[in-house]
Amino acid sequence: MNVQTAAEFILDSPFLPRSAEIIRKDRLNDTETLYQLRLMDGSELGHLPGQFVELSVYGVGEAPFSISSSPTRGRTFELCIRRVGDVTGGLERLGLGDQVGIRGPLGRGFPVETMRGKKALLIAGGLGIVPLRSLIVNILDEREDFGDVTILYGSKSPDDLLFRDELTQWEAREDVDFRMTTDIAGPKWKGNVGPVTTLFRRIEVDSRNTVPVMVGPPVMFRHVVKQVLACGIPEDRIIMSLERRMKCGIGECGHCQINGVYVCQEGPVFTYAELKRMEEAML
Amino acid sequence: MKFLPQDQLEAFLAHLAESAIVVAPQRDQDGVLFFQPWEAGAEVEFEQLLTRQSPKDYVFRQTETYLKFGYQMKGKAAAEEEEVGGKKSKDEPAAEEAPPAEGEEPAHEVLQVETVEDAPEQVIFGLRPCDARGYYQMDQVFGGYGGFYYDPYYMAKREATTLVALTCAQPWSTCFCTAVYGSPSGTDGVDLLLTGIEGGFTAEALTERGENLLGFGGFADVGTGQADAAQTVKDEAFAAIDPPFEIEGVPQGLRDNFEDPAWHDLQMRCISCGTCTYVCPNCYCFNITDEMVEKSGERVRTWDNCFNPGYTLETSGHNPREQKFARFRNRFSHKFWYYPEKYDSLLCSGCGRCIRYCPTKIDLREVIRTLGRPHAAEAAPAEDSEAAGVHAQTGEDL
Repeated sequence: MNVQTAAEFILDSPFLPRSAEIIRKDRLNDTETLYQLRLMDGSELGHLPGQFVELSVYGVGEAPFSISSSPTRGRTFELCIRRVGDVTGGLERLGLGDQVGIRGPLGRGFPVETMRGKKALLIAGGLGIVPLRSLIVNILDEREDFGDVTILYGSKSPDDLLFRDELTQWEAREDVDFRMTTDIAGPKWKGNVGPVTTLFRRIEVDSRNTVPVMVGPPVMFRHVVKQVLACGIPEDRIIMSLERRMKCGIGECGHCQINGVYVCQEGPVFTYAELKRMEEAML
Repeated sequence: MKFLPQDQLEAFLAHLAESAIVVAPQRDQDGVLFFQPWEAGAEVEFEQLLTRQSPKDYVFRQTETYLKFGYQMKGKAAAEEEEVGGKKSKDEPAAEEAPPAEGEEPAHEVLQVETVEDAPEQVIFGLRPCDARGYYQMDQVFGGYGGFYYDPYYMAKREATTLVALTCAQPWSTCFCTAVYGSPSGTDGVDLLLTGIEGGFTAEALTERGENLLGFGGFADVGTGQADAAQTVKDEAFAAIDPPFEIEGVPQGLRDNFEDPAWHDLQMRCISCGTCTYVCPNCYCFNITDEMVEKSGERVRTWDNCFNPGYTLETSGHNPREQKFARFRNRFSHKFWYYPEKYDSLLCSGCGRCIRYCPTKIDLREVIRTLGRPHAAEAAPAEDSEAAGVHAQTGEDL
């Protein structure tokens, strides 16, 4: 009956984190910091855009974070983290060279392979830019593999915009249609004001060959999905990433469950056609 | 089938205890019946049908440490003692910052793997078929079914556990195992099934593990009529349970009635205490937290309660099940709709503890009767929702 001994079970445990070292810390905002990490065993994380990790600050706890960097960028990976709870507070107290625990990559990422050769419509609301950046950078690093790239990014206020240096670069690129909007304009803001749906007036969407990918709060999903459907894009081509409170990350603990689906396993990336069938998914 | 005379029971327990921890129902100092490790001379109680809690804890611990860690200063301790797993710090190139002061490198954690001595051979003795089935149903989550992860902590204990179940002769009024495909003499998960008859117990091995237990010398061959007597006990117990609902169609019913206002009526008096989840032999949700004293600590997983408002609360403040009725609905839907859809098993074995111990007398049977009826495909849907509304108010049987 025992194919493995108990000791072997436990050394194989999906609950055991690998050690990673903080090699860079960039303050992006009052509350957001971009952490660059490297696994101490020298291996690559091996993630797909849209996947997440469980990060441990030993003694404080473990929490899920989406991976913000593209797998095209080598041996390190980046997590953009808002300081708001225990683990994020504990992380902020760590410095360069300090170790954290990493489990993952976990979950289902964005369908990068099926997006090749197609047009990409990438829509981020608020912190949705954090996971979406992994896909954006991946696409831009392999730009010739994709059709037209449109990026829409909505944020509460100009002060809340993240990755500003990169936003400037994306804006400057001729092979990307990048547009931003904020709910509230500041004195220096010359861009669009209003929810991200207001940007749809300014773009054209080719319904036959565009893959829309959206990451943001539920209220954004509800409105953007309507817009995208109105463009004639079928439900099973609309890609969305959900936020849930993943705890174990491996389909056991129950926290992220929506109906019979564990978001940590079958998501966090879903098609709208899948989410539509799940009660509570869009709440 | 063998026969264990009553006067051989203690000898059998002692025999089992030679090679395993034996866990059996015993009264604690307050007279409450719990599964507890048995020692020679201790009184085992089989009269009361169910223990307060199922023996779930012996395989799926209420609190389980699975990691230990400590922070040690690099450099200082290294000279004096070999630190566990500490080799990693030396060969890493320093980051591009200014080097820290001599001998004062930043603290780092040393990770230690928890030893596995807490998965000893154990026999859970005298549990009822519904509690054995609780493991059987939970095994699907932790056992790697459907391509999911194999849980090393649960499975190490599970595979070291033998279940000796006892047929229920006189089910309680809250028992409903027969409504959920179970039986007072059910064998799901059971290694050896005992059935009390005149003068002792019949013993049937269901597995190789169970077969091995029959090697104990105190067993006799079944005498004339003893097998029939056991069958009579089983049949009478089965007949004594009046199934409170019709399980066929319940998953569809819960789906059809997802938005039914009766959810709001039925959940009104729930106080989110989670007693139902703690006494349940099937509920398996858990949380993971760190406990730390000074420089060393542990990572533990603990039973969680899906009625807790913080259960689904995300750091952003977003909470997909913020309202109590949604959490209430989730628990019943999980047991009778979501779980069967995913794992091909119900997540309820019909023990009825949730009914018995709910401080506000919420009755699972009433919830399932009220909200588990599918809308008839042909019939006018108005009729059904009207019926559901009436039953929500009166709580009467259909």
